[in-house]
Amino acid sequence: MAERWHDEPWARDIWWSGKTTRRRFLGLSAAAGALGATMLVPPPWREAFGQAKPYKIGTMQPLSGAAAAGGKTALVGTQLAVDRINRAGGINGRPVELIIADYESKPDVGRRKAEKLLVEDKIDAHEGGFLSNVCLACMPVFEEHKVVNMIGVCLDTTMTTSKCSRYTFRPFDYAPAQAVAFAPYLIGKMGKKWHIAYADYAWGQSTRDAYADQIKKAGGEVVATTGIPLGTADMTAFLSKITGNFDGLFGIFFGKDGVTIGNQAFDLGLTKKYKWAGDGAIAESTNLPALGNKIEGFVGINRYVPVLDPPLNTSSHKKFFEEAIARLKQIDPSGPLPDRYVQANFEAMNALKVGIQKAGFRGREDTMKLIEALEGLEMKESDDFPQGDKTLRKEDHQAFIREFIFEIKGGKHRIVEVVPKEKTMFPPACTFPKA
Amino acid sequence: MTRSATASYWTGFAIALGVLVVAPFVLPEFWRRFVTEILIWGLLAMSSDILIGYTGMVSFGHSAFFGLGMYGAAAALLTVRPPDLWLAILYGLVGAGGVAVFVAYFATRLRDIYFSITTLVFSQIFYVIIFTWTELTGGENGLTFRQPPLAIPGLLSAPFTPVTLHWFVLAVVTASYLALRRITQSPFGMVLQAIRENEPRTRAIGYPVERYKIVAVMLSGLFAGLAGVLYALQNKFAAPDFVFFVVSGEVVIFNVMGGMGTLVGPVAGAAFFFLLREGFSRFFTEYYLIPVGVIFTLMVIFVPQGLLGFARRALNR
Repeated sequence: MAERWHDEPWARDIWWSGKTTRRRFLGLSAAAGALGATMLVPPPWREAFGQAKPYKIGTMQPLSGAAAAGGKTALVGTQLAVDRINRAGGINGRPVELIIADYESKPDVGRRKAEKLLVEDKIDAHEGGFLSNVCLACMPVFEEHKVVNMIGVCLDTTMTTSKCSRYTFRPFDYAPAQAVAFAPYLIGKMGKKWHIAYADYAWGQSTRDAYADQIKKAGGEVVATTGIPLGTADMTAFLSKITGNFDGLFGIFFGKDGVTIGNQAFDLGLTKKYKWAGDGAIAESTNLPALGNKIEGFVGINRYVPVLDPPLNTSSHKKFFEEAIARLKQIDPSGPLPDRYVQANFEAMNALKVGIQKAGFRGREDTMKLIEALEGLEMKESDDFPQGDKTLRKEDHQAFIREFIFEIKGGKHRIVEVVPKEKTMFPPACTFPKA
Repeated sequence: MTRSATASYWTGFAIALGVLVVAPFVLPEFWRRFVTEILIWGLLAMSSDILIGYTGMVSFGHSAFFGLGMYGAAAALLTVRPPDLWLAILYGLVGAGGVAVFVAYFATRLRDIYFSITTLVFSQIFYVIIFTWTELTGGENGLTFRQPPLAIPGLLSAPFTPVTLHWFVLAVVTASYLALRRITQSPFGMVLQAIRENEPRTRAIGYPVERYKIVAVMLSGLFAGLAGVLYALQNKFAAPDFVFFVVSGEVVIFNVMGGMGTLVGPVAGAAFFFLLREGFSRFFTEYYLIPVGVIFTLMVIFVPQGLLGFARRALNR
């Protein structure tokens, strides 16, 4: 037996001996050649479009790490839109080449990937972004390189208020608009006094403030608020302190926190004692199986609900709904229904398409033309925008869209009121930094 | 060290430095920025080597020092007008140093796994404070700010360009390396290595081990904070994610990959890790961390001393 295991006969082949034999050299060269050849094979859309230069659109999503599940769902919306655009002949006769980057749910990786997309891949525009902190970290990078950044999911209010950028657009709603839309319903049809329970971090806190403000403006009162740290598995200690004389409990949570509060508020009897309402993210379609019948009666607001009831019984929505289900089944065999992440990315990509068409955008040199085309863009309910009409406001690049107030009944969403986009308006609070 | 060994060491050092100085001129834009970032993470890894490699204390609290350095710089850049580079460095060092004193006082009373767990707990405490105190820290969204100019009072004041920023970072990292090398080779550094080899015996011969450990943690924290300041200067933002313990875990990985107790090994480890991650991400969109993990596992089995572990003795002479 050899003194060192490296010298054992079986280890000699796997341990680097420092020798480059002709066989090894030829083997490695062949492998490198094959890899290089694979990289040179043109992508399949090339054939259909002849020599037309594609629009390079980058999309950054958290495909690994803490937000991977949501990121993968969001990517489905983008891919759905890009495939549909390419099937219909591209934009201005040019195909769309989607360059996907995974940022591991981390802002430093996000920043690096944004640089890579902009500098190495030379993308013409970006659509995507899921986590608000990563979106905020990357916004200056898009600004620096003067490339349009169409947000797909990021919800943080400041992106179109105090930290707004001339290069960034959000073609879907934000918390202040939802609060404006929902407060009259809460006060008029559910009760005047509210207790707000919220996820105690930036998004939860800013959403809490937006609702507290609008509830007060609508003639109601927020008697108390309870912040619960993000990711708290057992919320009982916080929820058991929620008592007193008020009409309704309003929840601001998402993801697994939405499931936790839904289940535990029910177990503690809070949802029987008080009216139960909140941000639509609590009862997102992906959360419903885990919430079971404990979420029955919950009233929420969302920009998208996966139903084919009026006014979402249009052929456009039906097409989107069916295609999205088929595509989601490829990543999740349980066949989940599309959620607002799929919808928002699908429509964000289409907003970019409409802007490119309107501006006659050729590439980065036309970025200002594209910005001007997107500013104040009116989007009509259509195959591109199955959720409904929307306006992309010029002053802050924030969209205003119709909102759906829904109730969970029989384990499904049931639309109880539709708030038109005009009734969700919130004054702009953005001053674009000087170029 | 013999004269020829000294000459080869400094020749190698000069070559490496020369390569890094000219790198911005030969590398494409993305890779130029990438190398600068590697130097910053390398400094963080080097700072932790003082504890892991030289004192034998595995810290999972380096994310706190790094993050506090970052937030300290952010505080200076957001509150003082016009933004000042040196004030950002000072605030960052004070932030990281303050936290390091606090952590060192409590954590160094414990050994081995208990020390590691305590540093992890402290980093998580700071993470939760930063994550939830939105009014002050920006919470989950962090803070964004403008880059200060490169200013030397009375001499020059010019905005950073990617090249000057790279040189500035390189100068700070090189100076830090030389300072840390001097420290590890000093009598103080020898005591740290004695603690690593046999703590009871070091105590028995009369060294106040706890005090040495406290100073080691503080030194390590200060250099980690300096890395945080550099990161803030380069990227113009600070986020709570950098205070999360996962960053500390990555720093331990840099040390293991590069070679503990060598100072330059962890820098090489950081470079190797980042290159692997970037390289694989170009072929496997979302699964690229799997091959990176496999390679790390194989390295732990087959090259446990790390990439530069073979040169440990030469580098420490």
